[in-house]
Amino acid sequence: MKIQNGYIHLAKVALEDFKRNKVRTALTSLGIMIGVLSVVLLIALGLGLKNYIEGQFENMGANLIMILPGSGFTGEGGASFGGQGTVGGVSFDERDVSLLQRVSEIDYVVPVFMKGVAVEAGGEKKVASVMGMNEDGFKLMNIEAANGELFNKSDVQSGVKIAVLGNTIATDLFGSAEKSVGKTIRFEDARFKIIGVAKKKGDREADNGIFVPYKTTYGSLNPDKTFWAIYLGVKSDDMVTVAKTKAEGALLKRYDEEDFAVTEQAELLNTINQIFSIINSVLIAIGSISLVVGGIGIMNIMFATVTERTKEIGIRRAVGATQNDILKQFLTESVLLSLFGGILGLLLAIGIIMIVRIFFPASINIFAVLISLIVSSAIGIFFGVFPARRAAKLPPIEAIRYE
Amino acid sequence: MIKLEHVNKSYFLGDEEVKAVRDISLTIEEKEFIGILGSSGSGKSTLMHIIGLLEQPTSGKVILEGYDVAKLTDAELSKIRNKTVGFVFQSFNLINRFTVMENVLLPTKYSKDPISFNAGQRAEDLLGKFGILERKNFFPNKISGGQQQRVAIARALIMQPKIILADEPTGNLDSKTGDEIIAILKNLNKDFGVTVILVTHEHNIAAKTKRQIYIKDGEVVEKYL
Repeated sequence: MKIQNGYIHLAKVALEDFKRNKVRTALTSLGIMIGVLSVVLLIALGLGLKNYIEGQFENMGANLIMILPGSGFTGEGGASFGGQGTVGGVSFDERDVSLLQRVSEIDYVVPVFMKGVAVEAGGEKKVASVMGMNEDGFKLMNIEAANGELFNKSDVQSGVKIAVLGNTIATDLFGSAEKSVGKTIRFEDARFKIIGVAKKKGDREADNGIFVPYKTTYGSLNPDKTFWAIYLGVKSDDMVTVAKTKAEGALLKRYDEEDFAVTEQAELLNTINQIFSIINSVLIAIGSISLVVGGIGIMNIMFATVTERTKEIGIRRAVGATQNDILKQFLTESVLLSLFGGILGLLLAIGIIMIVRIFFPASINIFAVLISLIVSSAIGIFFGVFPARRAAKLPPIEAIRYE
Repeated sequence: MIKLEHVNKSYFLGDEEVKAVRDISLTIEEKEFIGILGSSGSGKSTLMHIIGLLEQPTSGKVILEGYDVAKLTDAELSKIRNKTVGFVFQSFNLINRFTVMENVLLPTKYSKDPISFNAGQRAEDLLGKFGILERKNFFPNKISGGQQQRVAIARALIMQPKIILADEPTGNLDSKTGDEIIAILKNLNKDFGVTVILVTHEHNIAAKTKRQIYIKDGEVVEKYL
């Protein structure tokens, strides 16, 4: 009760002082407000960017392992989905697929054949990439049918001339996804019946793709019956490492180590996460500069306040205030000042983020909120301590005589 | 209850040492009404600050309520200032941004022990006794000097101290108001047994106390000339 009463007195004195010096209080808080605003905004934008890119990757499925010829993603041009397996190393074939299917941790194996082709349909011509794969490829890439249906296992085995179109290319060729189903497209002197159109994914590569059963590509499209890459879907997250090792082991029976590369999605995600945590740290560091400047503003004002109230400090000391009481009084004031700015900055940041979200997936989390409040109180304490100590150490008699 | 033994206090003004208090030994008994008389610059105020624990002597011993003051911590000194001593200053020293009532209650905010009395009621009683209760919500710069000094006395009394230290309490007041203030201090001593130490340079004011000590150039002298 007593202690509470004391703090109420301290807060009341501080608030009355703010009321009397409205302009000064506002300007001093402004420094912290801008600091907190920039830190919270930068964190939110950084997180948003990271989430966006992670989301793009998750489109590809989380438990994905990619087997590519040559040195894979570290090799030049190897990362291009439009490539044809000509980046060196080997071309995979059905024997590799059946070898990999024996690995027990692997749920499904998707051979991937890719080729750029000129597509004709209803008088329209368009360049697109054909992707030969099996029915599990849709699962792996999280592709669902918007209209019609996707091809199934027996379609793949029979090698029937059917195709599933990406949403964008279907619209480009036939005007809409619905109209495409049942129509025919032509490329490489063959006709393919469109049995379905995929839902829009927001991924340029997938939305412009033409998906066909891989056996259908055997012939003029793919005379060697080879694949550019093989994708593996692992049964669960914790099996990825084991599956990767086993897949490598299986392929080493046929190829040399430098002929192929096994990459897991998680590795890529890790790399991306690392890059973003560095970017985020840099952003926070930049934002923190304005917080420090704001803190110096508070220190400056608190020194002025201490000088202005020297006589009052002397009076308080004469009626029984300890050095500690004086210290607490001025610290309360600087913390409230700083917290006030911090809360304003936070509210403003939330407002801005709400608007930015319309265009960009910026996100604010409870962590950023807590941190900004803790940091602004800490700044109040840190930069308030020097003026408050000066006040507390004033000799009472000199203070009381100060005019 | 207050005992000074060979107390010295010196300051440095630049390189020059100023001896404000020289080898003063004196004893002030409980419930005394004592006047410390001296001209401006005689060291009488410094002596009062030493007695009131606002300053520490350069050398010598100060015993207050049985405590050797030199051995007390800041918290202990502050507690004695809060509970045992009440100050009344020449320039009143009220906090202008607080109301009369808030000024009177200020010492209660610094009591480290729970307060056993109803502080608000007591403050009103004191203001009522001094005839300024209707001014309780005024700010100090809106009332007269005599009224301000009464507020200061009420503030000095709120914690029921044993000792009142008054440093030229009439210095900024006209003689009629001054006399009223002295009468208040005299009654405190007579009716409530509060030890009152009155520092002044005026003989006629000092004459109203029961015992006088004369200070000249920082020393106690037999007779003030």
